Amino acid sequence: MTQRTTGGVTRRTIIKAAAATAAAQVAGPFVISARGDTPVRIGLDNPLTGTYAALGKNELIGCQLAIEQINAKGGILSRQVELLSEDSTSGDAGTAVQKARKLIDRDNVNFLVGNVNSALALAMADVAAEKKVLMVVPGGHTDAVTGTSCHYNVFRVCNTTQMEANAVAPTLIKNAGKKWYYITPDYAFGHTLQAGLEKACAANGGSKIGADLTPLGTTDYSSYLIKAQAANPDVIIFLPQGDDMINAMKQAVQFGLDKRFHLAGAQQELEALEGLPPEARVGTWVFEWYWNQPNNPHVATFVSAIQKKTGKVPTARTWFGYAATWTCALAANNAKSLDTLKMAKTLSGMKLPPEVSLMPDQAYYREGQNQLLGDLFVGQAQAKGSTAEDLFKVSTIVKGPDAAGTLAETGCKMQWPA
Amino acid sequence: MTQLILFNVFNGLIIGAFYALMALGLSLILNLSGVINFAHGGFLALGAYIAYSLSPHIGFWGALVVAPVATAVVGLVVERVLIRRVYGRDPLYSLLLTFGLAYIFEDVLRYIWGAQSVPFPIPPALASPLSPEYFFLTGYRLFMVALVAAAVVALFVILNRTKLGIRIRAGTQDLETVNVLGVNVRILRNLNFGLGTYLAGLAGVLAAGMLGLQPTIGTSLIMPSFVAIIVGGLGSLPGTLLGGLLIGVASGLTTMFFPSATEAVMYVMMGLVLLVRPRGLLGEEGRVQ
Repeated sequence: MTQRTTGGVTRRTIIKAAAATAAAQVAGPFVISARGDTPVRIGLDNPLTGTYAALGKNELIGCQLAIEQINAKGGILSRQVELLSEDSTSGDAGTAVQKARKLIDRDNVNFLVGNVNSALALAMADVAAEKKVLMVVPGGHTDAVTGTSCHYNVFRVCNTTQMEANAVAPTLIKNAGKKWYYITPDYAFGHTLQAGLEKACAANGGSKIGADLTPLGTTDYSSYLIKAQAANPDVIIFLPQGDDMINAMKQAVQFGLDKRFHLAGAQQELEALEGLPPEARVGTWVFEWYWNQPNNPHVATFVSAIQKKTGKVPTARTWFGYAATWTCALAANNAKSLDTLKMAKTLSGMKLPPEVSLMPDQAYYREGQNQLLGDLFVGQAQAKGSTAEDLFKVSTIVKGPDAAGTLAETGCKMQWPA
Repeated sequence: MTQLILFNVFNGLIIGAFYALMALGLSLILNLSGVINFAHGGFLALGAYIAYSLSPHIGFWGALVVAPVATAVVGLVVERVLIRRVYGRDPLYSLLLTFGLAYIFEDVLRYIWGAQSVPFPIPPALASPLSPEYFFLTGYRLFMVALVAAAVVALFVILNRTKLGIRIRAGTQDLETVNVLGVNVRILRNLNFGLGTYLAGLAGVLAAGMLGLQPTIGTSLIMPSFVAIIVGGLGSLPGTLLGGLLIGVASGLTTMFFPSATEAVMYVMMGLVLLVRPRGLLGEEGRVQ
């Protein structure tokens, strides 16, 4: 058998070399900054491919900015900080857990950060608890993370689904009416969010007149919309997220349903509104963080730093990543130690400084639950505001403690090691 | 109640027509070349993104004409460079190749256009319902059904009246004999693949008007197309059309009674067809044992 050769190198050699190069790129984590002898390592295990890739990417950008700032201010315990980023995939808990174990066992990270997907965040939290590594969840919302499945060493930046529901319900009842119809994604996040809204709706005198569970990744919502309009509600509540939300809203507005009913929901994100055509940017929603906060110089600095990096304004996801990374640095520097237990004790009850909190009220980690309580931004989506990126008009700012309910309601029974 | 059921049947037909358009392209390639093209969703997404980039310059209608052609050109190149090498081998090779291609497409699209959804505007004239009562009949959806119908008619004319089409059909029956009779099978397969990816590109432009446009748009639409082919019957294009319409109606009706099973019902149908009539509703005997 003859082999074709190119200048003495066989074709097979070239292919092998190419394959090895490709494999090396896959295998090695993406090292962002490495100076000094023994840097402190933060391991980010978050989606970079699949449905949640856009959200994961924005959280990564927030982490990167925080790392730059932390290093510029002297790092963690006077050591430089580096970020190791792994792709957890968007929905494969097995991969997320394997990457978390790799970050902890092989790369010896001091902190674990992730995940956009609630189910993956829960799975990673079990690993963090087993390995006794401090973990911060930037953007996985299901209640259990800081509720029934809480751990002393797992903290969360984004809100619980119950908090989002409590924040939006009073405004929605007042502006739109009492009869609600739910279109809910059929997984943990959707179920808890709908349950939370039903509770908050009933508490404000409203009622549920129908609900449909839609499979995750549904592209066609027309049959659900046909059913929802036939029930003649005051409000159609859209709970799918990301691409599913875009599909649902785009179709509802093409059907003219925004003129017959109030379209609303709980969690809404700038990423989704940007993906919608202008006429479909309608409805009442909750933003967990919004970039357009007039008269807040810290926010303005943050916005322009991100704009310099990406050319776009930060989204709530960018802030989640930013706040989560700063949380790691603050925990270690305030505890003057990298010991997980000491850092967790320091974080419990800690207020974020204004330049990290970036909202009207200073956010803090509630003791006994490890949940960050900040402000929630309730308002309306809009086709275009002061700038092309101003797609949300904030009408009410709800304080986190008012939306959070009591500690007993969260179901968290925190167990500290002896 | 009756009205609601009728609404859902009509609505299901509209969705089914869309599934059928995707499935026809897949079916063409499968029938002649024996390649299960898992990258079909990638071609669909590519067509949609090309239309998105072109539409500010040449408008929606211009993009509707140009983007599918551009997708077909990419299809011709991919067939020439990659797919051609796995013809006649174990089907596993073509499966692995196109499966990998699907991921490559998704990541390349993400690299060029970003991971976040982008808005693809449709002409305002098509963007509203025709009457408040039949609100689900928007101009865009009716236009889509008309276009699918036109594409199906054109496809059948091509297959039955042109030399290329007759050769494609003959090749589907017996490729070796067609080859012996002096037809250049390489070019035939190449053009056939181009035609299939043209249909994928067309489906992509149409999908972008109704759905959010992001790199994974093809992935979520590809499975119903496979189901349509299996339900309708391998080797039969009318079968594929029927399969697409049937699963559209079935999932529409399921929403009425058991909404969380709208996706599952397609696979239940597929399972039933495979049990009772493995060759599919209109499939040829002997293609699947």
